[in-house]
Amino acid sequence: MSSKRIPRVGIGGPVGSGKTMLIEQIVPTLFTKGYKVGIVSNDVVSKEDAERMRRNLATEKGLMPEELVIGVATGGCPHTAVREDPSINLSVVEEMELKYDYLDLILIESGGDNITTTFSPALADYFIYIIDVTGGDKYPRKRGLGIENCDLLVINKIDIAPYIGADLKVMERDAKIVRSNKPTVFVNSKTGQGVDAVVSSIIRDVLFEASPKTLVKN
Amino acid sequence: MFMNTDISREDVSLLQMSDSFFPTGLYATSSGLEALLQIKRLKNKDISNLIAIYLQQVVGPSDCTALGNAYESCRKGDLDALLNTDESLYFMRIIEETRNASVRSGNQLLKCVSSFVKNKKMLKDYQNAISSGNATGVYPVSFGVVTWSLDIPKKRAGLILLYGFTVSVIGAALRLGIVQHFDGQQIIHELRLVMLESVLKNIDRSISSMWQFAPELDILQMKHEMMSSKMFIT
Repeated sequence: MSSKRIPRVGIGGPVGSGKTMLIEQIVPTLFTKGYKVGIVSNDVVSKEDAERMRRNLATEKGLMPEELVIGVATGGCPHTAVREDPSINLSVVEEMELKYDYLDLILIESGGDNITTTFSPALADYFIYIIDVTGGDKYPRKRGLGIENCDLLVINKIDIAPYIGADLKVMERDAKIVRSNKPTVFVNSKTGQGVDAVVSSIIRDVLFEASPKTLVKN
Repeated sequence: MFMNTDISREDVSLLQMSDSFFPTGLYATSSGLEALLQIKRLKNKDISNLIAIYLQQVVGPSDCTALGNAYESCRKGDLDALLNTDESLYFMRIIEETRNASVRSGNQLLKCVSSFVKNKKMLKDYQNAISSGNATGVYPVSFGVVTWSLDIPKKRAGLILLYGFTVSVIGAALRLGIVQHFDGQQIIHELRLVMLESVLKNIDRSISSMWQFAPELDILQMKHEMMSSKMFIT
């Protein structure tokens, strides 16, 4: 009963940066294009994120079966669970691959953590790191493993940048420098602004423009 | 070239398997401690007693026994006996949360060790049995298979299992703020005899006399399953 690896995207970022809300925007957009997604959500203390996504994406919108949103407790060590010892996440992902081989993509949300979070390449094929403007426009140039190493940096809550004096141009310039020109996307996860660019990156760089499996079969 | 020295490759393997750095996911388990903390204010002595009860009433007579039987089955090349031990222990895990955690950790342990141990038929056969749905890979049995594969002596393998359990609970207690870092080491020191006795009592126990009895701890684990807010898997 060995399974075929389904492409996996890891999404990490500090507490409150908008990881869950970004997923809640990405999944419906992928769904309208025919892509089926499973979600593994690591929470530091509660099961709130997993339960919210299950309710919003599965129960209310019917975009996936409820059992395709799985919550994982991390023993208070969110970065350990996705990097140093991703055993439990790997098990959950492999079980998902075995049971739901029709999935096109698995999203793995890290628990909220600090700027040193990265994903083990054994767990995630592609790593999105999300920060928001409330930390000030100095955030990207302060560096950190997550900001520097991720495949795609997402900067969220751009709608409130003017109110807190965060200059998006400064953030863009600094991100380019510290990330050696790797891509950065500005979004407002609440309205969906900029999310199309994130989805396009996933389809291009993770799925390699492959058609959705269920469409190919039909 | 190391034949005449008093240290060996097996000793290094022993250290590797007993290191909390080894990736098995056990750092995310509290074995009911998190649920207990929610209903009771805990002191250092409570943690020590809790672990001692687990070692004497659960981990010793069930996990250590399963490990010993798995190890012997590998030594004899008896796959049927190994699968019988796997099945017996799996069905003895009555709490779904702990059963799932044990299976997941066991499977990842096998995958990790089989990435660098390639020449042990029983290790491969056990993994094949899991892939074909004929075994579960529950952690203590997997631990018996990999320690045999690494030529770690059986009693020492039992000791590592019990030590690893003890450290995982103390690690959880530290993160939950119940004990301080020196307290944790003191508890390990105090429990040395309990660990040793538990291994000696149970490592050669037959699979038919494997047991566990700690109903209050079982209820605690069930309470943990129902908690809406938690840091730990168990």
